[in-house]
Amino acid sequence: MMTKRRVTLTVNGEHVEPLVEANALLVNVLREELQLTGTKYCCGTGQCGGCTVLVNGEPILSCLTLAAAVDGADIVTIEGVAEPDGSLDPIQEAFLDHGAVQCGFCTPGMILMAKDLLAHDPSPSEEQIREHLRGNLCRCTGYHRIVKAIGSCGQ
Amino acid sequence: MNDDRFDVIGRVTRRQDGHAMVTGRQLYSSDISLPNMLQARVLRSPYPHARIAAIDTSGAERLGAVCVTPEDVPRVKYNERQVSVPAKTYRDRTVLPDKIRHVGQGVVAVAARTEALADKALDALDVGFESLPAVFDPHEAMRDGAPQLHDAVMLGETVLPIERNIACSREAVEGDVARGLEEADLVVENEFTTGRAYHGQLESKAVVCRPEADGGITVWATTQSIHNTRQLLGILFDIPLSKINVQRVPIGGSFGSSIQMNSSVAICVALALKAQKPVKLVLTREEDMYDHCKYPSNIHLTYGVKRDGTLTAGHLKTVVDIGGHNIQAYPLLGCMAGWFVSLYRLPHLKFEGTAVYTNKAPACAMQGYGNPQVTFAVESMMDTIAEALDIDPIDLRLKNYVGLGETFWGQGPTVRSVIRSCGVEEMLLKGRAMVGWERRGSPARKTGRFRRGIGVGRGFHTSGTGAPTPGEVIDYSTAMVKINEDGSVDCLTALMCHGGGTLEAGAKMVAEELGVPLDRVGISPSNTRSTGYDVCTHATRGVYCGGASLLRAAQDVKKILLDFASRIIDVNPEALKVQPDTSRGQGFVFLPGAPAKRISVAEVAKTAQIKGWGSIIAVVSHRQVNCPPCFVVNFVEVEVDTATGQIRPVRAVAAVDAGTVINPDLAAGQLEGGLCRGIGLALLEDTTYKPDSGELTCGGYLTDYKIYTAQDMPSLEDLSTFFADTYEPSGPFGAKGVGEAANNATAGAVANAIYNAVGVRLTEAPITPERVLSALTREAEQLQQGR
Repeated sequence: MMTKRRVTLTVNGEHVEPLVEANALLVNVLREELQLTGTKYCCGTGQCGGCTVLVNGEPILSCLTLAAAVDGADIVTIEGVAEPDGSLDPIQEAFLDHGAVQCGFCTPGMILMAKDLLAHDPSPSEEQIREHLRGNLCRCTGYHRIVKAIGSCGQ
Repeated sequence: MNDDRFDVIGRVTRRQDGHAMVTGRQLYSSDISLPNMLQARVLRSPYPHARIAAIDTSGAERLGAVCVTPEDVPRVKYNERQVSVPAKTYRDRTVLPDKIRHVGQGVVAVAARTEALADKALDALDVGFESLPAVFDPHEAMRDGAPQLHDAVMLGETVLPIERNIACSREAVEGDVARGLEEADLVVENEFTTGRAYHGQLESKAVVCRPEADGGITVWATTQSIHNTRQLLGILFDIPLSKINVQRVPIGGSFGSSIQMNSSVAICVALALKAQKPVKLVLTREEDMYDHCKYPSNIHLTYGVKRDGTLTAGHLKTVVDIGGHNIQAYPLLGCMAGWFVSLYRLPHLKFEGTAVYTNKAPACAMQGYGNPQVTFAVESMMDTIAEALDIDPIDLRLKNYVGLGETFWGQGPTVRSVIRSCGVEEMLLKGRAMVGWERRGSPARKTGRFRRGIGVGRGFHTSGTGAPTPGEVIDYSTAMVKINEDGSVDCLTALMCHGGGTLEAGAKMVAEELGVPLDRVGISPSNTRSTGYDVCTHATRGVYCGGASLLRAAQDVKKILLDFASRIIDVNPEALKVQPDTSRGQGFVFLPGAPAKRISVAEVAKTAQIKGWGSIIAVVSHRQVNCPPCFVVNFVEVEVDTATGQIRPVRAVAAVDAGTVINPDLAAGQLEGGLCRGIGLALLEDTTYKPDSGELTCGGYLTDYKIYTAQDMPSLEDLSTFFADTYEPSGPFGAKGVGEAANNATAGAVANAIYNAVGVRLTEAPITPERVLSALTREAEQLQQGR
């Protein structure tokens, strides 16, 4: 039996100390231990970007990251993007206003990538948006409205 | 685009389910967790064709795992797709197999407290296989002496022997094709192929099954049809349907891959029944890629045509490689015939289709159901004919397309109807101007390494499979609409939304009919125990067929509403109207011109409750007696790198004739997504197999099965969509479908654009850089020899 260890995380502003196995992946800890199922498990091998979360402000693929390796980190998942009072982030509003959501499965990863992009560059060009999203697959939309929605958030 | 005829139809609104999706609160099957739930894993065959010699589960059981083997599951032969009538349903599989027919086929399943423990139990299983010779090519599979996948299958209740691996075949003939070809001034023929593309839905398919205290089960599964899933589980596990509850769960994209009950569903149910605990089974991407793909095509196409461009005859022969199991090849061949004959008028025609078993993943419907495959061949040939006769490709299409007032049988020979709305001409002419058709020029005059070309593709899909007669395929929907005591409305239906906004469209139709603000119309959660039958959300039928059932239920409810209102305000119900008052968040019933005769929908409903008149509620089961074509036109501009063979889509115009458009932004989103997948089918996507092992060349990984990213699509400025201005008389508020139509014409448009760029006809999709380069080299050699 593998020994479990306690990791200390701040997830969406909340201090948590889940007990995890040494080989536990962050995606599973988020989805199963912390019941934050908004982070999606899609390919499990880092190919689609669906499991993207922000770790200390940077996007990472939670299906390729050991929970133990991010001990002490500050994590934002899709559940932590809206304000605590429930009001939506401008990116979430833009996704709704531009019809950028179809089945919704890639949406959490896309929104977190957009958060990351806009945090570094408040008015990205269309080319920069497309380049930034290149690791996030969407099978429904053809990306058109996702790019449009993110572009509309630029200043 | 706002339509003055309507209050909410045709207006851009935020989808109701969107908020849950952008905040991570939408729960898909893989997000369901239950107390005391076990996790399942499946041992899968490494062999493409094998007998199962021995199974020892004792090692796994010592670890505490619950195991099911082929011995433990019902032996009922079934077909996972329950859309055709039973007599036309080919049944060739069991919950776990008697024999392995493709790599990745499940053999033994285990369930344990954690996924890690289930994985250990999987390792502890001991399964012996006796490998058999395998066959991967459909033409080889039809030869004498080829390895036989199935000795016999069931067709309805009849035992059907299988010879030369032919699962089924179909023929359609009208007139005399030989005579038609004789009458032609020009006969053209060519071979076309398309690949076994993978659906690539982002969702990892999942199923959770909970055994209930009464001996029943509750199931949360990735499916496009909760009712067919329930009926099939009832047959397989001999449980009364009244004790099987399949919940509608949001689906993370499907593209046809869950029309059938996924093979994992019955496996999970078998485990849960044995364990008597809830069990969850989530497929890995690799498992999923071995479970389904698009029907590939291999088409031989011949047309006869007069000098003026009038077609005299068409003959299409196709062999379809269906893989290890026959999911829906028989109706597929009928539809392929239908797509072929309903694109262009053919006085003499013949269709011959053969579906063949091979030791590969079973093929199934994927956006278009044989239509993108047929249309790729037909639209390529239209350009070949146009060039040979020196006619503009658009003029040739306008001369021959099947349109208004003509009979069409898109869903196959038994489903005929007359076209009553058609925007083909409008879309071709408007699209031609938008794309800058005059810029296309002749390939002979194009030089340099990077060459651009513009191509057109035209197509259609049917809106559902409805027809005046019952036919081979079941098609109807049931809906319940209820006005609540505060004037809000509940809509209950087993219809699904795959992301395109089907349920949103249903809510808009109900809001429009009842005169209630859209945000007061809710789509209720649904399951099989609380809804009437709905066949499946497939075949581009959601809005046209499912929406029509909601509209009819709303019409019935409106009659009750007006009747109750008339009792209160003392006006003849037939004189009353309803209209929303969004500032007050209410619908109002009123007599035009009489301000005193006005009452809110809420007051009517509350009064009816207090006075004991009853609930304002109606349930309707409705079958559409038509399946009108939603036409599409795609213009695509590509840039071909003649040094590397790389092709880049640089501009596109996509249009659909969907009748009245209910959700304009979501319908446009369908066109954009369909275009992306259509270009993928044309240029990129195929699952190929290693001939020695029968394994997928990509290994089941998205790393080596590429789909387009945001960087690969035309820019916002270079991709336009528009809708034809039509009204379908048989559709709810004049609406038809969009769905599958969105990708049907794309591959043909891309191939025609490539030809326009480099003057070489590419007929094998995906048109990879290797294929482009070898075609360019061949062309150059022929030119040299000619000199």
